[in-house]
Amino acid sequence: MALKEALILIGGAQGLGIETSAVVLATAFARKGYGIFASREYFSNIVGRHSYINMRISSNRMPYSLVYPVHLIAAMDAESVFTHHDEVMEKGFLVYDTGTGKTRLSQIASMEPPLKERLSKSLGRTATVEDVVKKIESEKGVNVIPVSFKLVLDTLRSKYGIGLAQAQRFRSSIPVGIVAGLTGLEEEALEYGLRRRFSKRPKLVEMNMFLLRKLVSDIEKEYGNQLKLEKSTNSHEEVIVASGNDVVAMGKVVGGVRYQSYYPITPASDESVLLEAKESLKTSKGSIGSLVVLQTEDEIAAITSAIGAALAGARSSTATSGPGFSLMVEGLGWAGMNETPVVITYYQRGGPSTGQPTRGSQSDLLFAMHASHGEFPRIVLSSGDHVEAFYDAIKAYNLAEKYQLAVIHLLDKFLANTIASMPMPRWDGLRIERGKTVFSTSNGGPVKRFDKSEPISVRPVLGSGAVTWYTGDEHDEWGHITEDPVNRIEMYEKRMKKLEIADKEIPETERAKLYGTKDGDFLVVGWGFVKGVALEALELLRSKGLEGGYLHLRYFIPFPSKYVADILGNFDEARVISVEHNIQAQAAQVVAMNTGFKIKRFVLKYSGRPIYLPELVRALERIVKGESLKEVLTYGK
Amino acid sequence: MASSIAKYRTDVWSDWCPGCGDFGIVAAMQKAFAELGLDPARTVIVSGIGCSGKTPHFIVANGVHTLHGRAIPFATGIKLANPELTVIVNGGDGDLLGIGAGHFVALGRRNLDITVIIHNNQVYGLTKGQASPTLRRWEQVKSLPRPNIQDAVNPIALALSAGYTFVARGYSLWVDHLKEIIKAAINHKGAALIDVLQPCVTYNDVYTAEYYKDRLYKLEEEPGWDPIVKEPSKEETEEKITNALKKSLEWGDRIPVGVFYVNPHVETFEERIAKLNPSYREKPPGMQEVAFNDGRPLVGVDEFREIFREFIVEVKK
Repeated sequence: MALKEALILIGGAQGLGIETSAVVLATAFARKGYGIFASREYFSNIVGRHSYINMRISSNRMPYSLVYPVHLIAAMDAESVFTHHDEVMEKGFLVYDTGTGKTRLSQIASMEPPLKERLSKSLGRTATVEDVVKKIESEKGVNVIPVSFKLVLDTLRSKYGIGLAQAQRFRSSIPVGIVAGLTGLEEEALEYGLRRRFSKRPKLVEMNMFLLRKLVSDIEKEYGNQLKLEKSTNSHEEVIVASGNDVVAMGKVVGGVRYQSYYPITPASDESVLLEAKESLKTSKGSIGSLVVLQTEDEIAAITSAIGAALAGARSSTATSGPGFSLMVEGLGWAGMNETPVVITYYQRGGPSTGQPTRGSQSDLLFAMHASHGEFPRIVLSSGDHVEAFYDAIKAYNLAEKYQLAVIHLLDKFLANTIASMPMPRWDGLRIERGKTVFSTSNGGPVKRFDKSEPISVRPVLGSGAVTWYTGDEHDEWGHITEDPVNRIEMYEKRMKKLEIADKEIPETERAKLYGTKDGDFLVVGWGFVKGVALEALELLRSKGLEGGYLHLRYFIPFPSKYVADILGNFDEARVISVEHNIQAQAAQVVAMNTGFKIKRFVLKYSGRPIYLPELVRALERIVKGESLKEVLTYGK
Repeated sequence: MASSIAKYRTDVWSDWCPGCGDFGIVAAMQKAFAELGLDPARTVIVSGIGCSGKTPHFIVANGVHTLHGRAIPFATGIKLANPELTVIVNGGDGDLLGIGAGHFVALGRRNLDITVIIHNNQVYGLTKGQASPTLRRWEQVKSLPRPNIQDAVNPIALALSAGYTFVARGYSLWVDHLKEIIKAAINHKGAALIDVLQPCVTYNDVYTAEYYKDRLYKLEEEPGWDPIVKEPSKEETEEKITNALKKSLEWGDRIPVGVFYVNPHVETFEERIAKLNPSYREKPPGMQEVAFNDGRPLVGVDEFREIFREFIVEVKK
């Protein structure tokens, strides 16, 4: 019987090309209309540490979460077998390199001691890859596919006369071929995937195709299409296959970015690097503008130069993560004081300090909301999936310019590094709003940049023809320093009023969204990356007879207090569950602050790994049934 | 086209201490602006924090009074978004060479067409006279409880090694001399540094006007002094930089002021960007349209498809 979806885990040392495997597979499956969701877990390391990709391929939906156990584990090395052997389902498949068969657990130098310790307890320190393989074969009926990577690469070497080192670069095709063989993925799709990855190197496409044809035919001969996927019933004629970093960059280009600054940091810089590649905004009709991407000397320069560019009229942004944002805080305050439109794209990772540079978290919500001394308005919004991230990236500039303030666009590592298929965005209704920005004036002399007659003043940009002053000191309408108490009160209120206006103008239904029912047995409250897994959990719980809703929080400032309070008012506190990637349930605190409703049930995860669908379903079930008040999730390697 | 100095004076009262060297710097700037006929609306003065940070408020030209140490990156964003603007940075020695030293070096590496004026008085004036990065070891200005035990940074040598292509020193009490340097720095295409020695009448009782009086001498009056790289050759560049570096080490009995080094042959950052992306010069990014009149984004679905084609998958089941 064909599968509705396939769950695949590809593991291997960093630098061995598993990301290439994932991108080729994702593109190839997307070509056949399947929905893709692939999350990448990796160490803060370039070569040698263990990394893996968890991929879900769906024939009847765009998947939004990760599931275990998986149908197939493709282990590119011994460490992957040891690490992931317990994640394959009964009668699933495990591919391993026979060249690593005798490798012992104790010999894996790159494995971190705590994991080795745990595995030693369950497998024995001297266990070999073959021991583990036999164990899951007998205990779980797993179909083991032994592949001699060396022999596979030897066929390539003899065909093309290349050396061993060069042949190693084709290892990434081994899991691709095996997955294609087992799932019955067509050759045309594979070739499409390869062409995308190696667009300018046809020889590589040819050589990889040679290898793939061989692998697919070997696998089909020996095992058949045992993981045959149903034909896709998804209706999209074209999709975007991209990471979260990529879609934010795309949104920024559509939104009219003209200046982006960054200091290299995981997991944010990929966005800026893509923008750098698109700097000339070239189309067949010529260039439609020029975007300056500046790699700065530090994050302080990133934010302050972005503010400078904004003063001169550019749609301006910077992208960073927690440690970078910590440095940016003084700039944020200056932008607040000077009513400057700037966008900070903030990919959260594990903190504090360097924390877990390559692992995800949602632990910076309160920081983003409250960073900087003094009081000033800012907008904080967050995206839960690729589609939201794309539109929010555009929206962020509009909000920044309309209300003349800093907008913090919160994302996280999970989204940043998840490769997903996303329907082509729609342009209808997309508008660029620049508020009271003035690019040209015949005035020629000084103007009151901070005219107090309205909370949002006219903003002639530097170079517009007007003369304006700015200062981080409290200032008068001209932008000159004054410590006068009466002016202080007026200016303070002028700035803060902009937030009241934003609160009135941005519909609350855009700032939070209820999915499912508000008359059900329970309500999940979440934000950001929690969205996908929460929505899928609701579906599964519904099939178990538990009807619930998911309240997705999008804006934290200005907070949609009335909308959220209305929904929460329908529920008993025992039925409202906060799901977040942090230990303090930060969004729940924001809800309490704004609505007075104290959430008292929690599902939290702070291991740095994403929330998986089965663990969330189980946790919600326990809470809804009254068996638990708080669940801490731990799944994931 | 020269204009009147009065045009560049605001009616904001200068609250510097009477006799402060900052007055001379502002006067020299206003004179330079007038002689160059700078359009106040197309000129931007970016300052940091401290006494010198107040500079833009006293001059009619766009003024951006920023954060401590950060005037240069603010100015960088302004200049990159609109390279047609004349951008000048005013900052103290603590601001530009202490807390903002990283940015100071970065500007040299980029050779962006910005003029940086250091108000160098060896102290943090507005916080009551602590030692700045240009105060020398064992010197003790009057508000220090004990002598300074950190070495001084050499602004001229640092600028030369960072890549500034115009490096000079002025003296705040020699207003006309300083004015000429400022004019040359503004006219120079590339990153320009002017280290302005400036007595702090309140907190610096070591480097006083009296101290400087008999020690300062003008480089241009030295026989044979020629700081300008005429040909973009390695030899001449090395020779001129070496001469400048040697001069920068002079301090004590004789202190040189004037132009140390000028190299007009190094590509500016704007030129580097335009080389990679010729459309950069057509219209400043800050002034570009990003939408049609009805608000639709300039990047419509067709443009998007072209720009991001490698991410778009045509489904063929």
